[in-house]
Amino acid sequence: MDLLKALAIGAMFGVGIFQMLRRNVIRSTIGLIIISNAVNLFLMSTGAYQGAVAAYVNATGQRSDALPQALVLTAIVISMAGFSLVLALLYMLSTRYQTADSDEIAELRN
Amino acid sequence: MNAHLVLLPIIIPLTGAAVGLLLWRAPAVQRAWSFGALLTSAAASAALLWAAWTRGPVVFQLGGWAAPFGISLVGDLLGATMALMAQGVLVTGMIYALGCRDKCATYPAFFPLFLTLTAGLTGTFLTGDVFNLFVFAELLVSSGAILTAISDDRSGAEAAYKYFFISLFAAIFLLSAVGGLYVSYGTLNMADLAQRILNQAQAAGGMPPLHHMAMVLMFVFFMVKSAVAPFHFWQPDFHTAAPTPVSAMLSSVVVKVGVYGFLRMTTLLFVPQAATLRGLLVVLGVVGVIFGGLAALGTHNAKRMLAYSTLAQIGYILVGIGWGTPIAIAAALVLTINHSLIKAALLMLAGAVASRAPIKSAAFANITGVGKSLPGMGALFLLGGLALAGIPPTNGFIGKLALFRGGVLAGEYAALAFIGVASIITVVYVIRAFQLIWWTPPAEGVKAKPGGDRLLAPALLVGLCLLLGLWAEPLLRLANDVAAWLGDPALYIAAVLKG
Repeated sequence: MDLLKALAIGAMFGVGIFQMLRRNVIRSTIGLIIISNAVNLFLMSTGAYQGAVAAYVNATGQRSDALPQALVLTAIVISMAGFSLVLALLYMLSTRYQTADSDEIAELRN
Repeated sequence: MNAHLVLLPIIIPLTGAAVGLLLWRAPAVQRAWSFGALLTSAAASAALLWAAWTRGPVVFQLGGWAAPFGISLVGDLLGATMALMAQGVLVTGMIYALGCRDKCATYPAFFPLFLTLTAGLTGTFLTGDVFNLFVFAELLVSSGAILTAISDDRSGAEAAYKYFFISLFAAIFLLSAVGGLYVSYGTLNMADLAQRILNQAQAAGGMPPLHHMAMVLMFVFFMVKSAVAPFHFWQPDFHTAAPTPVSAMLSSVVVKVGVYGFLRMTTLLFVPQAATLRGLLVVLGVVGVIFGGLAALGTHNAKRMLAYSTLAQIGYILVGIGWGTPIAIAAALVLTINHSLIKAALLMLAGAVASRAPIKSAAFANITGVGKSLPGMGALFLLGGLALAGIPPTNGFIGKLALFRGGVLAGEYAALAFIGVASIITVVYVIRAFQLIWWTPPAEGVKAKPGGDRLLAPALLVGLCLLLGLWAEPLLRLANDVAAWLGDPALYIAAVLKG
């Protein structure tokens, strides 16, 4: 299970990085979203296998660690807000420059 | 009540922003309300610094959870100093925004966003929890990106996209570091973390495998935040395209997040590895000083020149942190505060000149000679420029002097030589900008427009620069006390875990 998860995280990172290096700004944003989900998975796996019973439930057995779950929830909420903002910026860019090619959106380069 | 003091500088701007948004129909009321909220919050952070300085650190445990389990807010000397510096400069930024002619300053969300920027920045300085640091940094980044995206400058959206993309990526670095630290030590409270890392270093068996990964990722996060070369590429674009009141804040106080982070990493979190980090910081600092200075020489835009100069000035601060002796750290703090004041003032002046130019842009081709009829502004720019170059009687001189003294006492003559050369470059580019704007005769038909941005805010900042140059003793004493406080991580750990 550990190996499977590690492989999944690695694969997501790889796909994300590959997409991020594309010239199309929309693809690179999607790449960023994939990487961010890979990191969320990594955060969750930091405490995933410690205990089988949900935290704060009156049951016998080893309780699971609630902190990684709280972290992931917060990270998901924040990244949701962040990505909606990125998409809004992308919309602004694409209407202003009429292109999604990052090489053509380069007014500031000189 | 005493412990609640550390909450105020964060909660007042946040509440102010929420209420300010509700007031969007009444712009005049909204402006007055936002300014009042920011002033109150700055007063609260001044009170916090006073309390931390006279009575020791102010620690508040959110929700009443005891230290390693809940989130702590820690108003120690370093955090409180940085918070007061940030909010003081932000107050002048808002004064400038109130008196500027930018269209974006009339948008209903402008002043609330300014307040969330304040809350995010202050929060990163005052939090005692690594994950909480990520949350506040995200708040800071999103506010800054939106404020730039709505700029009057057409390329604002491009700059904001670049910045936001890079910052989100940096946040992913920090999140991975958080994960690594949690796996290794089972805690995210900075004090508890520092304690466990110290214990681990003394125990046999070496550090956990993810420790070094987390350290490097966190280091990279702060490098991106402070735009340290080679992670600087977004910074000149971003600071050029932002509206003047915003770019003055971004290039002065917002880049100090990284400086704060490096100080915390080398003196609290990763003390066993501090020597390695410090060596890296000296190298990065020297590279930044030289590269930033040369790049500033080659620019064609006053704001861009100042943005590159930030790169160089951050370099000086990093070198100070890298030397790591109490004197050098105190010098780095003095430089940090000075640079915030000076760079904010100079960027505001560059923006004010641009607001008087025929086309609103700070490109030298556009503003050459515009200053001929604006001697008062020229005097302010010259004083600010002298401060940036470190010439008496300004505060820049005090900072450079302290840094050189630290370098000589630490015996670091190679880095000192580079820094000395770079200081001369600073003089060259500042004087070049001054000559182009105020001495060169203007082109045919170019004349300063009447009206334009008000000069109260830069005048206040330049006045403060002069005051701190002539009467530097309180600032130096504060910096020395902060450096002494940072000298022993056990003090911070005890203050948080007992409080």
